[in-house]
Amino acid sequence: MLTYLVRRILIMIPTLIAISVITFVIIQLPPGDYLTTMINEMQSQGENVDQSKIEALRAQYGLDRPMYEQYFLWVTGLLQGDYGYSFEYQLPVADVVGDRVFLTFVLNFATIIFIWAVAFPIGIYSATNQYSIGDYGLTFIGFIGLATPNFLLALILLYLANIWFGTSIGGLMDPKYLDQPWSVEKALSVLEHLWVPVVVIGTSGTAAMIRRLRANLLDELQKQYVITARAKGLPPFRALMKYPLRMSLNPFIADIGNMLPQVISGSAVVSMVLSLPTTGPMLIGALQSQDMYLAGSFLMFLALLTVIGMFISDLLLAVLDPRIRLGGGANR
Amino acid sequence: MKLRYLIPALVMAVWTAAASAEEIPSLAEQVANGTLPPLAERLPQPPMTVDFGSRGKSLGRYGGTMRMLMARSKDTRQMTVYGYARLVSYRPGDFELFADILEKFEVEDEKVFTFTLRKNHRWSDGHPFTAEDFRYFWEDVANNEALSPSGPPNILLVDGEAPLFQVLDERTVRYSWSKPNPDFLPSLAKASPLYLYRPAHYLKPMHAAFADPEALAKLVEDARQRNWAALHNKMDNLYRMDNPDLPVLQPWRVTGNATSTRFRFERNPYFHRVDPKGRQLPYIDEVIFNVASPGLIPAKAGAGDTDLQARYLSFDDYTFLKEAEDRFPFDTRLWRTAKGSHMALFPNLNAEDPAWRGLFRDVRFRRALSLAINRYEINQVIYYGLAYEGNNTVLPDSPLFEKDYQTRWAGFDLKQANRLLDEIGLERGEDGIRLLPDGRPLELIVETAGESTKQTDILSLIHDSWLDAGIKLFTRPSQRNVFRNRIFSGQTLVSVWSGAENGLATAFTSPADFVPYTQQQLQWPQWGQHIETGGQAGAAIDMPAAERLRDLYFTWRDASTRAAKLAAWKEILEINADQVFTIGLVSGVLQPVVVHDNLQNVPEKAIYNWDPGAHFGVYLPDTFWYGEAPTKSASAD
Repeated sequence: MLTYLVRRILIMIPTLIAISVITFVIIQLPPGDYLTTMINEMQSQGENVDQSKIEALRAQYGLDRPMYEQYFLWVTGLLQGDYGYSFEYQLPVADVVGDRVFLTFVLNFATIIFIWAVAFPIGIYSATNQYSIGDYGLTFIGFIGLATPNFLLALILLYLANIWFGTSIGGLMDPKYLDQPWSVEKALSVLEHLWVPVVVIGTSGTAAMIRRLRANLLDELQKQYVITARAKGLPPFRALMKYPLRMSLNPFIADIGNMLPQVISGSAVVSMVLSLPTTGPMLIGALQSQDMYLAGSFLMFLALLTVIGMFISDLLLAVLDPRIRLGGGANR
Repeated sequence: MKLRYLIPALVMAVWTAAASAEEIPSLAEQVANGTLPPLAERLPQPPMTVDFGSRGKSLGRYGGTMRMLMARSKDTRQMTVYGYARLVSYRPGDFELFADILEKFEVEDEKVFTFTLRKNHRWSDGHPFTAEDFRYFWEDVANNEALSPSGPPNILLVDGEAPLFQVLDERTVRYSWSKPNPDFLPSLAKASPLYLYRPAHYLKPMHAAFADPEALAKLVEDARQRNWAALHNKMDNLYRMDNPDLPVLQPWRVTGNATSTRFRFERNPYFHRVDPKGRQLPYIDEVIFNVASPGLIPAKAGAGDTDLQARYLSFDDYTFLKEAEDRFPFDTRLWRTAKGSHMALFPNLNAEDPAWRGLFRDVRFRRALSLAINRYEINQVIYYGLAYEGNNTVLPDSPLFEKDYQTRWAGFDLKQANRLLDEIGLERGEDGIRLLPDGRPLELIVETAGESTKQTDILSLIHDSWLDAGIKLFTRPSQRNVFRNRIFSGQTLVSVWSGAENGLATAFTSPADFVPYTQQQLQWPQWGQHIETGGQAGAAIDMPAAERLRDLYFTWRDASTRAAKLAAWKEILEINADQVFTIGLVSGVLQPVVVHDNLQNVPEKAIYNWDPGAHFGVYLPDTFWYGEAPTKSASAD
């Protein structure tokens, strides 16, 4: 087990290096760089920018160096905890990100809890009451959640929340709390605003999760040991919880690794629409304006989350399901 | 007992008449404890007194917070736009220039400009604002190779000649050229103005020529900048309003940091404008920008989350906003925009493809394209018939306006369009689409920056009528950078963008929008670039009408009399109308403006324009104030 852990961790290093190279190349792929964006904007406001000024700016931002050099500067910086400099905000990346990472975690954690809290009971119900009206009804609702465009649902819910509860539109808290320190009122205001994005981001994930749990559980329920347990008089609820449910939990655990980045990137579009102060809109903005260090650091952060999530889910799977053998050498 | 109050009151009354005694309530405490000098010492002599009478404004009350919505943290610069304190400013209505920050300005033949500052004028940090700030900009910023590698701003160079800059005394500076520079004053009054000054006292510690090298190195290190020039450039941007430490001359200045989603602007206690009773402006204590995604801003405005909003609202939102007025205390007004054309087609005369380029340069083809557009339909369908139909030219409110400029070749006349196309020799193919001389079908790709669905809507209307003329239209949305670069390199055939910025031009306004002038002109980017770079890049003009326009620009620039300038303008507009270099569609589109019911002094009817106008700027938001009585029914038109 220990060697497995060590090997698993060591593999993460080349993975991250490969990801950093790909990230950097992809950010640089579109024609032009941050300066082109900036110059276009200056020009569209009627400012004249001539070639020598552009060259000077390019040198100032270090964009005149070859790409591999820029890459090494960035990566060595990352290793020292220096995330580079955001052109757009004219600030170090770490300063730009600030509060947003925390709010992103709050939002995504709430969403994952929501997905589980909704998908779990529905999945179990659907599987145990296969082809009942309840099964069809809940499945139908689940699919609507999956099929409705997130941004549309977001706008409708926002409008209703504003009309019914007077919740201010957009954001994760009432504007008046934005520059205040954390307080009970502020936290409550966050809760008041949080449910809309959580429901919106959660609905699609929920539908998928319901289907997976239902299918797995149905598989297990047919099996001999379940029938035996029932026949021996084990109460139905216990008979369900003790073995088949446990066996069908695999997708939940295996998904942890995927879910983190998926929820974060899935929430980006919703965050854009709802103008939430999370990392999503900032990442999209950074990609659009080719603010490469900001975008690159975000993407590396996501990659790191994925890699760690995968690691955790591998460990949990091994704990949960003894049938999973670690490493080929352990074979009999 | 009574006497004790009476005497100070009398003294006060006398003093009020002389200068002003009313301290701003929100500053009273600071004045009382001595952290801020009293009002009389903070105001320059004389202060700039806003003429409330001619502007139809009422005297206000101090206090309040004005909430506005913005889409990006970069929008802090809008506070500089709305604040609109400029050396010289435009007056709304006639758009004449008056001395604003300056006490007075004298111009000799548009060659020698002498500026006089107000006595005791101070930056927002209380430091005196003097000729030194101008000298610092000219000698240590504009002419410093590290800070301005490309030299002084283009507008200060007339045919490459830099001005002679003189400091006459502490309050007087002079710029002189041997040739006229008529763009100079207007560029100072722009929404995004040319800044001739910098707060020298604040910036000198960041300048290598003044600072102690070690201290400077530490500053650069702490700010994580590459060198002192980068640091200086980052900290000295007066327009961006993103540095809370940078002293400004605007009515409000920013506090807080750039990553926030909420920006706060507090009053500048040294602001130079007063109301007719001598009370210092602005009335409103603070302005708040809440950042929201642009798509959400109309919804937020409709939920009463803003006190004054036009940016990010468009005419489509009007009905929704009107309906929301029942639930929230605001009024939605419609201001007319003043671009030469709200949307125009730009045939690329510098297109790479020789067959297309040849066609675009044939005036008959351009006229045919224009004649085959049903502007009436576009106006009715998209703008409820409230816009003006016609060419990209000056608007009816401009003194240069002539009906003919607006309507020539702009009526919907398919028969004539077809006749012109037949005359060029563009035969129709089997499917009714005409063929280029080399046999390719006449399939015209119109590119948009993909920023508004309205452009695509309008293009689909044009598609149908062009098809009747045998021209097939395809729309290709792209991204703004790609869009511009494709046009510059000649890959784009026709593009869509807004027309001339200033539809309210006078004889003294620069006609640059209508003549080859910069690369940014989508109908002739390479000719523009050629002129802009002094012949180093781009392509020389090889079309008589465009050459004539270029010459007329110089005629206008060098003309010293109004009559001569007017004559040049008239011919420029005449050539543009006749040659259809740009195909204007509709202009004078209405802009919804959301105004809180309690907010006073915001005009009912006004012009919403970037330059000149600075959006709300010319209406002086520093004179807006909060009253209690809703004026909804009384002021509704």
